[in-house]
Amino acid sequence: MIETLAQAVVNGLLIGGIYALVSIGVTLIFGVVKIVNFAQGEFVMIGMYISFFLATYFGIDPLLSLFISMPVLFVVGVLIQHFLIRRVLGLGDMPQIFLTFALSLLLVNVALLLFTANYRTVETSYSETAIHLGAVYVPVAKLIAFVVAMALSGTLWVFLHSTDLGKAMRAAAQNRDVTMLMGINPDRVFAVAVGVALALAGAAGSLLMPFYPAYPMVGQVFVLMAFVAVVLGTLGNVTGALIASLMMGVAESLGIQFVGADSGLIVVFLMLLLTLALRPSGLFGGWTR
Amino acid sequence: MEKSQSQGMRKRQRRRDFLIKTAGGAVAAGALAKLGMPRLARAAEPVNIGGLYPVTGSFAQIGQGCVNAAKLAVQMVNEAGGIKSLGGAKLNLIISDVQSDTTVTRTETDRLISSYKPAAIHGCFASALTLIASEVAERAKVPLLTGSSSDQLNKGRHYTFTPFSRASQFALAQLQMSKLVSDKPKVAVVFENTAFGTSTSNGLREQAPGEGVEIVLFEPYSAGLTDAGPLINKVRASGANMLFPVSYLNDLILIIRAIKQGGLQVAINGGSGGFVIPDFYKNVGSVAEGLLGVAHWNHDINADAQKVNAAYQKQYGEFLFEYAGGLVAQTFMIADALERAASTDPQKVSDAIASLDVSQGYAAMCPGGRVKFGPDGKNIYAHPVGVQWQRGDLATVFPKDDARAPLLKS
Repeated sequence: MIETLAQAVVNGLLIGGIYALVSIGVTLIFGVVKIVNFAQGEFVMIGMYISFFLATYFGIDPLLSLFISMPVLFVVGVLIQHFLIRRVLGLGDMPQIFLTFALSLLLVNVALLLFTANYRTVETSYSETAIHLGAVYVPVAKLIAFVVAMALSGTLWVFLHSTDLGKAMRAAAQNRDVTMLMGINPDRVFAVAVGVALALAGAAGSLLMPFYPAYPMVGQVFVLMAFVAVVLGTLGNVTGALIASLMMGVAESLGIQFVGADSGLIVVFLMLLLTLALRPSGLFGGWTR
Repeated sequence: MEKSQSQGMRKRQRRRDFLIKTAGGAVAAGALAKLGMPRLARAAEPVNIGGLYPVTGSFAQIGQGCVNAAKLAVQMVNEAGGIKSLGGAKLNLIISDVQSDTTVTRTETDRLISSYKPAAIHGCFASALTLIASEVAERAKVPLLTGSSSDQLNKGRHYTFTPFSRASQFALAQLQMSKLVSDKPKVAVVFENTAFGTSTSNGLREQAPGEGVEIVLFEPYSAGLTDAGPLINKVRASGANMLFPVSYLNDLILIIRAIKQGGLQVAINGGSGGFVIPDFYKNVGSVAEGLLGVAHWNHDINADAQKVNAAYQKQYGEFLFEYAGGLVAQTFMIADALERAASTDPQKVSDAIASLDVSQGYAAMCPGGRVKFGPDGKNIYAHPVGVQWQRGDLATVFPKDDARAPLLKS
């Protein structure tokens, strides 16, 4: 019994790390640029395909391709901010929603056209191995993904708190107009924020590739959980999104184990409903960033 | 059951898939229309036979494989001298694209029959499409042969013939196969909570006691898993030595990997469906190795099947899959019927198919080795075979008489 419980918690934490990478990206863009990026999952998908093709055609390990997928998606993020998002800022919610939603549809369909709906997998030496701690097993690929995800989140935290650019981003998130009065260029700050958010999505894609199949709709699987985590962890709060993601992973896993395998999401959404009812601003309201 | 896996595909995905493929489809349809034009008669008037397959839409990839096999089969019949009782008449295959869409299937079947007056038709891969085509063929009194497994096709129809095992036989075979793994099979059934998953798993549960198979876990899950770890945790706790996942491909990949990661000693039987085609292994890779399944046809069942498979493989670079292989046999059944009917009149051809009884040659190239239709159009000798992925190939491992390779223990 205790082994089963421990196993369920381990499973939940490991997948929670991936949820965290996706949700931190969403919450970062929302916090700084004040726009909901519905296409965040599609950038995870792009990260996966980058890793898949690098692994298939150049034999590059998906984990190493992190160093390619992250910069590529950072640049994509900067370009998207510069050419698309910048133009709809200040136009109200609808154009912004349509923009990122259209981007999501476009990317999924382009991926279908280019890559077909087939499932692609990458076989690595660690894809199917696990470390056994007593009766509990820890899949190596997921463990690596978790550790790297936590390291990236930590790096982001340090970046936001101890660099000028990071502080500028937090300042822009709190009050755009005052930030501009202080001589900070919001365009530059926004571009970096979107770039970083997409780089995190790319990292999530590369980290997923050793154990998760890539297909054009794969982003939608993760973005749903990411949005829940973002709301649960208070919109715009990076640390909140991280903690909420881990909590949700564990809640889902425990739900599957002890309620029923079709009830994992029910537990998660119940958690969301309760949070919204009792603490409408999320579990981590306030500016703890 | 067999194609319901594809049918269970999320609607949204299907729509997108469709939108994307329609562009290419228009071009393909144009090319096919040209191929389908009746050729000028040489010695004897060629005999039109129809092939209804989805060459565009969500089933396109498999449909194209079917068309390739259908062409190969006609070529084989023609090269062997055509239909001798009709003065060596050649078969003229007319392919109609049913576009993975039921409405299109209705009009295309109608159009095929009225414009080309085929002596017989075969099609349509997906049961949902075949059910429609068989209704139209029934009204027009044109015989239709199909490998589609829906038992519905054997109800109230006189012109529909099914030479291969039925959906109801698949579940039974799957249960019996669990005895290959253990004398006391303990089966865990995990299924996606969709119509397809629920109906298939219920079929398994109902028949399990009769086969002496104990079901130790019967667990629905939400399709579209992010992590199969927790689910496999439950399978482990149940003490099962055999797992039946009733899953779509993305979930199946996660389930298999989670089992390997957890070092769980359990055999996996995915039943019938989209994973007994070459593309499955191509996409999934060695994850598929050792996976068990059920099929109505396999390319290694006898010498004739192996011969056709070799020809197909040479031309298309992959092995002849279940449905495509079956329709090669169907083409030879039609040729046999034409030979005996000595007529291209659909009614006479249909009567000849109804009285068919072959146990050798390409027409008998199916599990059971003999084709003779009962009053419901069902081949009374048909049974499914159990297959296993072994080194990228699909090997028949069950039942004993059909087994061509020993079971690979995981």
